[in-house]
Amino acid sequence: MTDLRVLSEIDARVWKIEVAPGDSVTADMTLLILEAMKTEIPVEAPRAGRVKEIMVKAEDPVSEGQVLLILEV
Amino acid sequence: MSWQREVDELNRRLEMAKAMGGAENVARHHARGKLTARERVDGLADPGSFDEFLGLVGSATYDGAELTAFTPKPTVEGMITLDGRKAVVVAGDFTVRGGSGGMGGGMGREPRASERALEWRLPFIRLQDGAGGSVRSFEEFGRTYLPDGNAYTQYEVQLLSKVPVASAVLGSVAGIPAVVACLGHFNVMVKEISQIFPGGPPVVKAALGIDITKEELGGDQIHTRISGCVDNLAEDEADAFTQIRRFLSYLPPSVDEMPPRAPITDDPDRADEALLSLMPRNPRQSHNARKLIEHLVDKNSFFEIAPLYGRARITGLARIDGYPVALMANNSRFNGGSTDVAEGNKVMRLISLCDTFHLPLISLCDEPGFMVGPNSERMGIERAGARLLTAVCSSRMPWITVVVGRVFGVAGQCHHRPSGMYRRYAWPSATWGSMHISGGVAAAYRREIEAAPDPAAKQAEIEARLNAIASPFRTAEATGQDIIDPRHTRRKLVQFVHDAQRILATQVGVPWIPYTP
Repeated sequence: MTDLRVLSEIDARVWKIEVAPGDSVTADMTLLILEAMKTEIPVEAPRAGRVKEIMVKAEDPVSEGQVLLILEV
Repeated sequence: MSWQREVDELNRRLEMAKAMGGAENVARHHARGKLTARERVDGLADPGSFDEFLGLVGSATYDGAELTAFTPKPTVEGMITLDGRKAVVVAGDFTVRGGSGGMGGGMGREPRASERALEWRLPFIRLQDGAGGSVRSFEEFGRTYLPDGNAYTQYEVQLLSKVPVASAVLGSVAGIPAVVACLGHFNVMVKEISQIFPGGPPVVKAALGIDITKEELGGDQIHTRISGCVDNLAEDEADAFTQIRRFLSYLPPSVDEMPPRAPITDDPDRADEALLSLMPRNPRQSHNARKLIEHLVDKNSFFEIAPLYGRARITGLARIDGYPVALMANNSRFNGGSTDVAEGNKVMRLISLCDTFHLPLISLCDEPGFMVGPNSERMGIERAGARLLTAVCSSRMPWITVVVGRVFGVAGQCHHRPSGMYRRYAWPSATWGSMHISGGVAAAYRREIEAAPDPAAKQAEIEARLNAIASPFRTAEATGQDIIDPRHTRRKLVQFVHDAQRILATQVGVPWIPYTP
C-alpha cells in the first residue's frame, strides 16, 4: 500500500466532492469536480484504490500542483 | 613486417579517448547522478550499433615522439541505429573542460557530425551537456575572438528543412548550446539535472544583481511550462532516450522520403461505443480530450508533444492504421480549450512539422476562440493570431478536422483550410458561429436590450431565438457540411489517411516554407 497524491492540474475552485474517506474507487472514477472558466473539470482516479484523506472542501480555491486528496493504492 | 605497432598505437589512442576527462572527472559526473557521454550514446542507440567518427581528435602531450597523455575533444559523435534505422548522434562530454570548446580544425578538417547528417540525409540527435564558449579559451589562444559560431551552426539550420533534429538537454547547458537546444523539431529535458540559459546564475548576478539558482533560472518548471523552449520533460535520462526514439519513429529519415508505416496493430473499423456519449450535453461540462484521442488513433500510438505548455491545445504524433499522423485537440479542461499565444505556437510548429515531413494533420476541434482579456492583449494575441492564420492558409499537408464540439471565431477559422486536400466532419454535438451567442447577443443587440423594460429577460429572449436556429443540421441543409455518427470517426480517419498518402507522395522534398524552430 502506498499513498498516491492526486494533484490539481490547474488553478480552479472546488465545485463538488464525489467521494468520502474510506471509499473504494476504480481507475477513471470521478473523485471531485473543479470549476474554472465556467466549466466543470472532473478529477479522475489515476488508479484503483481507497480514498485515504480529502484535503479540500467545496468552494475552496485550489492552485496548480496543490494536493486535492490522497489515495491508498 | 606488419603494421601491428601502429595498430597498437591506434588502439591505445582509442582507449585513452574512452577515458574521456579522466577517472576523477567521470566519478564526479556520476556522483551528480548523470551518465557520461558514452553511456548516453549506448543508452540511446541499438546495442552495438555505435560507429564513431572523429574519435582520435583531442589534445595530446608527447615526450619526444612518444604519446604520454591524451584528452579527447569534449564531444562523442558518430552514427547509430534506432530500431534499425540509421541516425547521427553528438553527445557533449561534460567531463572534458565542462563540455566547453570545440575541436579546432583548419585545412583538411573532417566534416562535423552536422555536415555528415546533412549530406547523408540522416536524423540528427544532440545529447547536450556543457557550456559553449569559456573565457578560459581566451588565455589559451592569447586573444579573444569574434562570436562567429554561425560558421558551423549554419549547417544545423540547414538540417531543419532536410532531416529530423532532436535534442536532449542532459545537464546545465549554457551559451550557444542553450540556443542550439531549440534548433530542432523536438527537445526534451530531464527532471532536476537539466537547465538551459544563455547565461547562468553568475552571469545573471553580474548583469542584473539577482541571486537565482540554476533550476529557478532555466529548469523544467520554466522551460516546459512557461517559456515553451523545451517540449517534453523526462523522468530520467533513459526516459529522454525513449522519447527521442519514439519521436523519430514517426518521421522519415529525411524530407526526401515518406514517413514509415508501422505494422498494423489495431482494427481500422474499431467503433468505440463510448464515443456516442463522450461529449457532455450540458455545456458547463467538459469532455476528456485525451480519452477522445485514444478512442480514435491506433492503440497506444499517441505521443504527446509539449504537454505542459499551452495546455489548452493537445498536440502530438500518432498512427492511423499504421500510418504516422500529426494530431491536435482542444483541451476544454484548461482555459476552456481556448487559443492563447502559447497554444498558437504549438499549432504552428505542428503544422510546420507536417509540411516538412509529410504527415497528414488531424484536428479534433472544440474551439471556443482566442483567449480574451487584458493578459492576452499584453501577449499580442492579434499578431499571434495573424501568424497562426498565415500558417494555416499556407500549409499544404492533407488535413482533416472533426468538429466534436464548439468552433467559434477566428481561432475556429484556424481549424479550416479552404484549399488543398482538406476534409471536415461534424459530430451531432457540434456548435458553431462567427461568435458565441451569449457574448455576441450582448454586443450586437445592445441598444434593444438596454431599451427593454427588463433587459435580462430581453437578452434571454434573443438568445433563445438564436439558439433555436443553432442546430448543426440547419447548417448542413444549406452548406453540405457532413455530420457523422461519432462512432464512425475512426473509420473516416483511416479512409482519409489512406487517401492522403498519394498527395503526400507528391510533396516529398524540401518544404516550400523552411522550417522555423
